[in-house]
Amino acid sequence: MEQPVQTETWKARSLEELVRILHQIFAEDKVSVDEVQALMESYESNPEEWLQYAKFDQYRYTRNLVDNGNGKFNLMILCWGEGHGSSIHDHTDSHCFMKILQGNLKETLFEWPEKKGNGEMTKKSERALRENQCAYINDSIGLHRVENISHTEPAVSLHLYSPPFNSCNTFDQRTGHKHKVTMTFYSQFGERTVC
Amino acid sequence: LPAGLSQWFPALEVLDVSGTGLTEMGTELLSLPCLHTLLAKNNRLGGPGSLPKGLGQAPLARSLRVLNLSGNRFSEVPPALLQLRGLRSLSLGGNRLHGIPPDIQELQSLEFLYLGGNFITAIPPELGNLPSLRYLVLCDNKIQSIPPQLAQLHSLRSLSLHNNLLTYLPREILNLVHLDELSLRGNPLVVRFVRDLTYNPPSLQELAGRTIKTRNVPYTPSDLPESLVRYLSLASNCPNPKCGGVYFDSCVRQIKFVDFCGKYRLPLMHYLCSPECSSPFSSASQSSTSQSESDSEDEASVAAHRMQKVLLG
Repeated sequence: MEQPVQTETWKARSLEELVRILHQIFAEDKVSVDEVQALMESYESNPEEWLQYAKFDQYRYTRNLVDNGNGKFNLMILCWGEGHGSSIHDHTDSHCFMKILQGNLKETLFEWPEKKGNGEMTKKSERALRENQCAYINDSIGLHRVENISHTEPAVSLHLYSPPFNSCNTFDQRTGHKHKVTMTFYSQFGERTVC
Repeated sequence: LPAGLSQWFPALEVLDVSGTGLTEMGTELLSLPCLHTLLAKNNRLGGPGSLPKGLGQAPLARSLRVLNLSGNRFSEVPPALLQLRGLRSLSLGGNRLHGIPPDIQELQSLEFLYLGGNFITAIPPELGNLPSLRYLVLCDNKIQSIPPQLAQLHSLRSLSLHNNLLTYLPREILNLVHLDELSLRGNPLVVRFVRDLTYNPPSLQELAGRTIKTRNVPYTPSDLPESLVRYLSLASNCPNPKCGGVYFDSCVRQIKFVDFCGKYRLPLMHYLCSPECSSPFSSASQSSTSQSESDSEDEASVAAHRMQKVLLG
């Protein structure tokens, strides 16, 4: 993605409108990261609009596909029960936007481990993401772990990945060793995916 | 809770009084015969009277399935709670618990237990007596060790232990056949090979007991005093597959590393019957890599089969 000559300032007034504008933006050859991030952040979370996608699982966080962007991007909603968290992972050379729809998520950034990683991975920074905030990451920025550290509140986040990907690497924090994993959808377009 | 609640809503099945500043829930609860879900998180419960007296005799004791008391001020699990025999899901996350009462085993129907975000330092072995438990959350506490009896939770699918003070796990954890997910990050897990060198030599009684067991010397309860019959029944098998011996009280604690799925190396605590009972390479090798490779090959293949997703970090 590169900066186009003109950057629009969008305001998405509903989830439907957000999806529509995303299709418009991604129809172009060049897309601006800042533009997408601002658009995602402009949408004020309204649970009525996304409740149908927010399917929680008792044991771990879920990925629920909302829109497959004509192959240009994947838009999905992730549901995090109390204490649920991800492993440290990369983003397979794609762009990742993460917007909080409900609750709070903690994002911890890590440096890429050395070639033959054999030591504790280096934490770069951590932050608490608030409702409606939108974070961005790609492989050149680093790796991250995302967690719902609340013991009382579930959390819901909206993710956009471009280009779409269904596998990535997870990393062992103590050793830096990586392992390829395939990700699946708990539900697609509001329908539970049968495994 | 408002007085007359059970008169106005006798058929109440779900009651959510979360975030209302409640300091106690009184006798109004006792007359709700259909209540199966009670959500009372983020309140000020925790003092005496948080739960009403006579809870064990109320219809609630059999009807209640889900109880969420997370985000309150409980410093101990209220004994009245343990009388809710029908309880399937219990959350006490984000309270001020310092321990778990052994009587937790009374909740025989429990499938989901969330105790994350407290100040728990130890886990009673009785927690292993919950045959239906599928999801156990103990993250963000101050737990230093896991009792081997937790391996009796044969329905356990997910175990959350991250952010505690664990240095190793009991090797029995490998027996949890259905365990899909195990989170261990944020624990000071031992990463180097450790051997406990303080070995107390076995007593004469122990040596005699070992001989009887390993040589299958026959005996009947009438041959021995009752105390010795009981003693002989407590023999533990040395986990070293090449040994086949037993031990009673005198054992060597040793930490071995087991590879899971070729990625993670977990330190598991083994109790061996003698210092000689470790790997052929034990004295020679100082390198933890070769040690664990030779010792734990059998264990590693077993473990890889049984634990597919280890969320270590």
